Amino acid sequence: MRMPDTANRSTLNDDGLLAQAFPPVAMFVIMIAAWQAVISAFAIPVYVLPSPGDIWLAIVNNPGPLFRHSGITLFEAVAGFVIGSMMGAVLGTLFAYSKFVARGLLPYVIAANTIPVVAVAPIIIIWFGHGLSSKVAVTAFLSFFPLALNMMKGLQSYDRTIMDVFHIAAATGPQRFFKMRLPNALPYVFVGLKLNVTFSVIGAIVAEFVQADKGLGFVIMTSYRTLNMPRLWAAMLMSALIGMAFFAIISMLERLIVPWHSSLHDNR
Amino acid sequence: MAERAAGEGPVTTAASSLVDISGLSLVYGARVGTPVQALDDIDLAIGEGSFVSLIGPSGCGKSTLLRVLGDLLAPTAGSVSIGGKRPVEARLDRQIGFVFQEPALLEWRCVLDNIALPLELRGVARAERDSKARELISLVGLEGFERAWPRQLSGGMRQRAAIARALSTDPRILLLDEPFGALDQITRDRLNMELARIHEITGITVVLVTHSIREAVLLSDRIVVMTPRPGRISKIFDVDLDRPRSLRSRADERFDAYVRLGSDELEKGYADA
Ligand SMILES: Nc1ncnc2c1ncn2[C@@H]1O[C@H](COP(=O)(O)OP(=O)(O)O)[C@@H](O)[C@H]1O
Ligand SMILES: [Mg+2]
Repeated sequence: MRMPDTANRSTLNDDGLLAQAFPPVAMFVIMIAAWQAVISAFAIPVYVLPSPGDIWLAIVNNPGPLFRHSGITLFEAVAGFVIGSMMGAVLGTLFAYSKFVARGLLPYVIAANTIPVVAVAPIIIIWFGHGLSSKVAVTAFLSFFPLALNMMKGLQSYDRTIMDVFHIAAATGPQRFFKMRLPNALPYVFVGLKLNVTFSVIGAIVAEFVQADKGLGFVIMTSYRTLNMPRLWAAMLMSALIGMAFFAIISMLERLIVPWHSSLHDNR
Repeated sequence: MAERAAGEGPVTTAASSLVDISGLSLVYGARVGTPVQALDDIDLAIGEGSFVSLIGPSGCGKSTLLRVLGDLLAPTAGSVSIGGKRPVEARLDRQIGFVFQEPALLEWRCVLDNIALPLELRGVARAERDSKARELISLVGLEGFERAWPRQLSGGMRQRAAIARALSTDPRILLLDEPFGALDQITRDRLNMELARIHEITGITVVLVTHSIREAVLLSDRIVVMTPRPGRISKIFDVDLDRPRSLRSRADERFDAYVRLGSDELEKGYADA
């Protein structure tokens, strides 16, 4: 199985780091300049579109609270990601090993997966209270399905002939799991984890929209009510940064844990 | 049913047989759907240390027979013994090496760790299994690729690794199911010679399933020709060519005679079908 990012990586490997970094950096400078120019040229009011400078000031003038709120959202996202992914992995394993459980539960799991998170969030907040735990629970809810489904698929996708090799070698059940089915599932697990990175940031912020007195979702809602658009844009920027950093960490882990995939394009 | 070709050189009867198959039948899908009689009343003895090829049109039960020997399938009737043991006991004793058409390497393990896998599953300590794996790596000519990932190897190299893995537990019998079927002719010739050399050096008993009568004659002491529907043995004949075998064995005039003998027998099978 090939991961979607391997193609990118091969093109990255072709050029030096500088050559890789140049196009996005150049594009960033051009876009910021164009943005600033458009605002000056058409005198666009700040509540419609704040200028890059306005947003920058919203961050640096009072960075403490913004970073504190970002930390709260980061915590909710990571905790929900870890709990939801772990629970998903366990259920996915159960599905892979028990046809009965898979046939019985899978339709409901898929149905539950189609419920919009905004509809579920208020219910979960009623159950888990007004603290951080309810935000973590919403995030975990979103992280649960991608891992359950990918874990199941990964554990089931082993090669029949490799199973025969293990049989000839008189492997035990646990050996089959830990030395064949689980390593075989790891690339699928990372597909699920990368989906969950995005979902967990969304989950945390949506939960904060419904009810919160801290976190980036809270900042976005209060800024919206007071039409403090530079602050809203700053919060949005922070949530994007959290997502990107989180994604980078998972990608790094993937290269460490699934090196046979990243070595696809090695030239020997 | 199993007859020997008369006048095709002396029959090289091995001192003792390692494998004894008698009255072996196997029916697929006896419980569900229409049953397929894959093997019907097979009798076969395989001498210790000999090289035997199973040949016949596809669907004649070659893989089925090999899988019964490897305890990957249980027969419907009849008895099979490998060194006096049932296949399941021989397997649990790690006396069976099996090479499939696909290399079936674990893509998350380097070549060395793939070859050491059966020893690892058996609980052999790392130092010991690594030294055994290195020994096998040089036997199959994969030096320098110990730490390569399987996907970095060519098809022929992967199959070399699969053979080394099958030999890692020092089995008494090596079963190969069309191991070089997916390779080009040049690679195939080369691997056939490697196989002949490994047989020569280790003295292991080899059972090879192949489609190619020339390959069978080149490598074997004895050739078992099978016919389909139901899978039966139509002829067993011995190949008396000088050892060690090399690609030059094909220049021996007896080589062509054996190939003709085998081809005629295969033709008969197709005519009946
Ligand atoms: N798992 C199976 N279920 C049902 N029929 C099978 C199965 N495997 C093989 N057969 C049938 O048994 C016969 C012998 O198959 P096989 O041993 O694979 O032949 P060969 O290896 O000589 O090509 C064929 O008719 C095939 O269709
Ligand atoms: Mg076959």
